Amino acid sequence: MTSAVGYLSCLAAIDLSGLLAYNTLIVAAGTAAVGCAAGVVGSLSVLRKRALVGDAAAHVTLVGVATAFALTGRRDLPTLLAGGFAAALAGLLVLVVMRRYTRTRDDAATAIVLSVGFGGGIALVAGMTARGIPGSAGLENFLLGHTAALTARDAGVLAGVSLATVVVVMLFLKEATLVAFDRSFAAAAGWPVAVVDYLLVVLVAVMVVVGLPAAGAVLVTALVVIPPVAARQWTDRLGTMLVLAGVIGLVSAVTGVAISAVVPRLATGPVIVLVAAAIFAISVLFTRWRSPREAA
Amino acid sequence: MLLMDQKMNFGPSKRAVQLSLVLGATVAALASHPGWAAEPRTGMPRVVVTTTIVADLVRQVAGDEVETDCLMGPGVDPHSFKATPRDADRLARADLVVASGLQLEGKLAALLERLGRRKRVVSVAESIPKDRLIEVGDGLYDPHVWFDPTLWAMCVEAVVEPLGQIVPAGRPRFEAAAAQYRGRLKLLDDALRERVAAIPERRRVLVTSHDAFRYFGRAYAIDVVGIQGMSTESEAGLNDINRLVDLVVSRGVPAVFVETSVADRNVTALREGALAKGHGVRLGGRLYSDALGGPQSGAETLEEALRANVDVVVGGLAGVAVRESDGGTGSGR
Repeated sequence: MTSAVGYLSCLAAIDLSGLLAYNTLIVAAGTAAVGCAAGVVGSLSVLRKRALVGDAAAHVTLVGVATAFALTGRRDLPTLLAGGFAAALAGLLVLVVMRRYTRTRDDAATAIVLSVGFGGGIALVAGMTARGIPGSAGLENFLLGHTAALTARDAGVLAGVSLATVVVVMLFLKEATLVAFDRSFAAAAGWPVAVVDYLLVVLVAVMVVVGLPAAGAVLVTALVVIPPVAARQWTDRLGTMLVLAGVIGLVSAVTGVAISAVVPRLATGPVIVLVAAAIFAISVLFTRWRSPREAA
Repeated sequence: MLLMDQKMNFGPSKRAVQLSLVLGATVAALASHPGWAAEPRTGMPRVVVTTTIVADLVRQVAGDEVETDCLMGPGVDPHSFKATPRDADRLARADLVVASGLQLEGKLAALLERLGRRKRVVSVAESIPKDRLIEVGDGLYDPHVWFDPTLWAMCVEAVVEPLGQIVPAGRPRFEAAAAQYRGRLKLLDDALRERVAAIPERRRVLVTSHDAFRYFGRAYAIDVVGIQGMSTESEAGLNDINRLVDLVVSRGVPAVFVETSVADRNVTALREGALAKGHGVRLGGRLYSDALGGPQSGAETLEEALRANVDVVVGGLAGVAVRESDGGTGSGR
């Protein structure tokens, strides 16, 4: 309790000039774009009960990152990202194949892909480190992300990919809605259910891999899951939910960035997740209080 | 469907036989791979050391009279190094284990402590009197002591006696070599101090991507600022980066420094922020931090690495251009 008071009195002494500093604006722009797009894409995958597909994709990237480094000996972002993306796609392909051709349930298949990809990646990195290959140690930190260190180019890439992802969702909204809510009806009505499914999975993979260096594996997963779930508390309409999830993602990002710009020694990525979680908690409390019976 | 499954489950086990053959062959191939096999024994006492810096210390004292086996090669970050079973095996077969200590080998510390119950494990930095160390938390001290040659000279003594235990005949030679090495470290300290004097006082700010250089800064009156925390594992906050941008701009710091074994994203963000305020910051080149350079790097020993570091720092901060290109000198890679 006393430490909390001490902390708060520290806050009072803080100057707010960092709010409009160059780096703050860059990081805010990049994370806001990711937060918004992740909320929109995440809404569809959460409704499809695939909240953890993004998490699996994020962790599988490690195997690709390690392989890319092993093959090229280079550690620059484009090389590692290319490897990570290839691995994420391969992992999701395995996921889809497992689901279709084996008797593995969705959640189990996701868990298998996640852990095998991550374990394989760690084993590769540890193997290279043990052989004293320079630059191989700490490759797994790639999954942690450095939100506060985003550059203008990073932010530009994030904004571009986020925009493209949202546009794709808009184009396929009708199909995606149908598949998300009533898969068998959609299939019976002749909709390309599988194609829409794959597209959704690929969108999540793209979102996750692009957001990885900016935010890290766990944060990106959180942004794909928490804002949609928070938005779901307020509405039963998909259109409203998509917009709301996008807004919540964006607000979480901007608020988190602002807090981390003002308070010293607070890592930016985790603060964004905490803000999103707070919004989720408020959403649950408020909507329950408003209509306790409806929210069952 | 059910029938098919039963057939799969109880049918001929040909597949199982094939599978086990393949598995067996794989295991055999792995075991015979040179990287996995045990190293040839030379008959000399084996000293297993953790970092290249400690390896250098042991070699300075014992020369070729012991076999020095280093767990972490050049360019490896000791904070995130995890031991493989093969490393544990190397440690188990060692006659003496020498570590840097003070939690430098974060993820290895528990293993070293267990090992210490069965054999001699020396943590050299822990022989330095506590009042000479920089405390960074409750009972936690900054482990990067080798950046102050006078502190490292105190560590020399810590290996002489244990080395004399495993090579009794070598003891007088080890003592002579240690005394001579301590003398060289003292001379090195004077030489480095003289070099640093060339930097204008206002610009004596060393910005790097992790706080390995506190002792270096204390010894030579340079303000050291790291973007990340003590270890390479923690993530920087936006506030820290913003304040650093302000510092670099207000003190006119011309260059910042990236280390050989730590990612440089934070530094890139810092330079971009400073440039937005109209202050260009060069990459001053790479400094050796937790690991020395590899063969032919010109920084295979601590003395060479410290000289190389000071050359890079002075070149970057004193205005004596090392190289105008953005890529730094890349001396570590």
